[in-house]
Amino acid sequence: MSNYALVGKNMPRVDSKAKVTGQALFTADLKFPKMLVGKILRSPHPHARIVDIDISAALNIPGVKAIVTGHDTIQRKWGVFGYTQDQLFLPADKVRFIGEEIAAVAAIDEDTAQQAIDCIRVEYEVLDAVFDIMESLAPDAPLLHEDFPHNINVHVPINVGDVEKGLAESYYVREDTFTAVEDSYFQGEPYAVVARFDMDNNLEIWMPNAGPHMKAKPLSNALGIPLNKVRVRKITIGGAFGGRSEIAPADLICALLARKSSRPVKIVYTREENSIATRQGHALITTIKTGVGQDGRVIARDITCYMDGGAYSSTGPIAVSVPFLCMEQAYKMEHVRYNGYRVYTNKPPRGMIRIHGRAFACGVDTQLDMIGDHLGIDPVTMRLVNAREAGEFTNTKSHVASCAMKDTITKASDRAGWKEKWGKLPPLRGIGIGCNSVQTGFPMGIRGGSQATIKLNEDGGATVISGVVDNGQGNDNMLVQITAEELGIRPEDVQLVTADTEVTSSDPGAYSQVSTFIGGHAVKNAAENVRKQLFDAASKVLKVDPDDLMARDRMICVKGSPTETGIPLKKVIRMILASGKSVSGQGEYWPKVDPKREWVKNPFGQMCGAFSFGTTVAEVEVDSETGKVKVIEVTVAQDVGFALNPLVIEGQFQGSVAMGGQGGILTEGHVWDKGSVLNPTQLEYKVPLACDMPKINTIIVESNDPEGPYGTKESGMSIAMSAAQAYAAAVSNAIGVYMTDFPLTPDKVLGALQNKMELETPNQNEDVMEKTLELVVPAV
Amino acid sequence: MSREIKLMLNGNQIFVAIEDNWTLLYLLREKLGLTGVKEGCGQGECGACTVIVDGLAVNSCIYFAVEVDGKDVLTIEGLAAADGTLHPLQKSFVENGGIQCGFCTPGMILSAKALLDENPQATEADIKQALAGNLCRCTGYVQIVESVEAVVDKSSEDINVVVRETGESG
Repeated sequence: MSNYALVGKNMPRVDSKAKVTGQALFTADLKFPKMLVGKILRSPHPHARIVDIDISAALNIPGVKAIVTGHDTIQRKWGVFGYTQDQLFLPADKVRFIGEEIAAVAAIDEDTAQQAIDCIRVEYEVLDAVFDIMESLAPDAPLLHEDFPHNINVHVPINVGDVEKGLAESYYVREDTFTAVEDSYFQGEPYAVVARFDMDNNLEIWMPNAGPHMKAKPLSNALGIPLNKVRVRKITIGGAFGGRSEIAPADLICALLARKSSRPVKIVYTREENSIATRQGHALITTIKTGVGQDGRVIARDITCYMDGGAYSSTGPIAVSVPFLCMEQAYKMEHVRYNGYRVYTNKPPRGMIRIHGRAFACGVDTQLDMIGDHLGIDPVTMRLVNAREAGEFTNTKSHVASCAMKDTITKASDRAGWKEKWGKLPPLRGIGIGCNSVQTGFPMGIRGGSQATIKLNEDGGATVISGVVDNGQGNDNMLVQITAEELGIRPEDVQLVTADTEVTSSDPGAYSQVSTFIGGHAVKNAAENVRKQLFDAASKVLKVDPDDLMARDRMICVKGSPTETGIPLKKVIRMILASGKSVSGQGEYWPKVDPKREWVKNPFGQMCGAFSFGTTVAEVEVDSETGKVKVIEVTVAQDVGFALNPLVIEGQFQGSVAMGGQGGILTEGHVWDKGSVLNPTQLEYKVPLACDMPKINTIIVESNDPEGPYGTKESGMSIAMSAAQAYAAAVSNAIGVYMTDFPLTPDKVLGALQNKMELETPNQNEDVMEKTLELVVPAV
Repeated sequence: MSREIKLMLNGNQIFVAIEDNWTLLYLLREKLGLTGVKEGCGQGECGACTVIVDGLAVNSCIYFAVEVDGKDVLTIEGLAAADGTLHPLQKSFVENGGIQCGFCTPGMILSAKALLDENPQATEADIKQALAGNLCRCTGYVQIVESVEAVVDKSSEDINVVVRETGESG
């Protein structure tokens, strides 16, 4: 379809050479003259009032250059929304989770800083704490925040249609509850911050981030300095997965230490600190009541979801809404009611994560399978009957312009051999399917759009200035690919000035899957603007209409004629420069969202510019003696709109299977002793290893979104979600028990098998007994 | 206690004063500026700090600096040829998308090199096993394993053609 030179084709990433040679600098790799090492003192108590902090002994240690506590801050609370501001970084009054920041030291080396930390004396008044969602909601539960009654941080109520009527009219209704413990990001790079102030008291700060502008404004608020004095710098970033979008306590702490010591300061988190003191994923209790017609079509759903938000709000209202939104985008239903509650507990705060709300997503799909089981309808048909289609509106009134959900279901199930396998696999083998949809963007107020600038130099090279950040997913390459395509130049002709709040205009960051859709779009528009200037100048020389020109191979030529008959691009640039003008242009892009939509008060209207749709089919085998699940093959299909760089998209799909399915459903979950995380390290938490990964078939489906640049949407999240759902369904299918508590660790799988055996006693039914025995004793 | 050790580092013989309690990671990153060696966990779990010592891939975060006295050490900075030509593994990771965020990449490539130096015809299972100590959170490992397999497919002479000489050890 395309006559593109670069987009739509596999392109090795521009940042990869620096990464294979070790030249790419991450935050912890930075070193400046006179730089100090920062260390943080953390609370050992899950809930305590701070009576006194004595730093005098620590200050007397030679080599200690600064110590900061809550008294060094302006005591301004942080929250993503005005109505959720509840977190003081370095609280002076009380702490609410084990690991919360109390004080910090900057010293000449790590040993000295640690010694000083050990010498800070804190007097606490220990308070009653609460670690469980339902206990936290109990009338006599200790209150975490006085201005949030009943420990309810956020309540999102949505009610569309008449759920009671819909359920009453349904052919079959069932209600099930699904649960999951907390999950975590485990980015490769532990969190780190470097901060320094220049001679004009401008803050320069480096940290892994999913949006430099999302960091800069809250930092300026917390420090009480103007936004143009906060310069979040570009740095290589070792992964985010939803976890590095908002300001972190260490950002402010590092800046305070740098200001107080008048020297650069570097804080590098240990792996344990990265797990307990950044963000985690929410634990969930989700109850889903669904009514369907005889054909399996969902008529009404009533969902109540309790999310364990930990001690602070973080992205609270968004976190409560997204699991519901993913469902209403993916599946149709006439009536729906949602009550989502985010509840405070004395555990680390929770944020958005790549498989956000796995108990919710897996619950919706598991229940579809339960219903299909009852009605005699197979899972693929259940999904086709309910799948979203292009041109429709979601229940909360978002128009879905492009949607190839049904194609993803058909293509993934065909490739996986669904028809040959469903109901025909040997005992303890199972196959399952999951479908999901994610937003390409959220309503983000004044940070919802992106602006870019491109300037061309006399030698034909381009400099792109954009706020887009690369967390590791390949956004830098995306910007280069688009710019080179539009200007008819080569990737090596493009240089980026990106993700630096001193020079780049506002941008939503890599948050909510919008980097290409919004940031890339702005760069494309800027390139079109510059190209128009080039064509206007070239048209006078070539004596043709500018609309008849094209840019390709560093030449500007008449469409349809050989490129060598045109004029070299740099000659056109020089012509324009000689006329006293620069060759530069701006471009902006704002998604067409409803500005009146608000997460809690008005969750209706256009949610985002586009929606992506993904389907995963997984085939597994369960070991009846250990409960261990072996994954045989996974097939994924996603409607990405348009595949800008298939090489990168396949990597996103495969990484999604690892994080969403392999880890997200089989192993990953935090283990607790009250407020203490017992598995803060990678091996204890069990992130997937190379040897764990199954064969993965990837299918890219293109619906060519009318709004996305070249038709693109997102590719980093739909598969992670649907992979979780497919893995859960496949395990349930293998053991013949619908699993409702995630992750599905071997102990739970084994327990389910044993319960099933006990229930299906020989006296009840001989057929069942035979079937059960067949199931648990694999054929030799 | 301080002492001086001698080692071949990325093909160059060096003498360096160390403390007994330094890890090899600390020596390489903090004292010698080789920040291509990453610290992901500090306790030998993630493999981001992998370097090659006398042909073996080791976690430098749990390997004492004093242990490399008289040995050959190869870090990611020493893998490409002096003229900048990438090692076939580096080239393959670039071309086959074996890189996303890049934090695990140096360790991943060095573990793969240690494997292929020992077993140039490694199978997919061999590769997955050899890389089991190098954690990657981005890729799902597929394109990483493909990147290594693409090098295996070439002749074994090819693999070693631009490996830098590390001199004699002992």
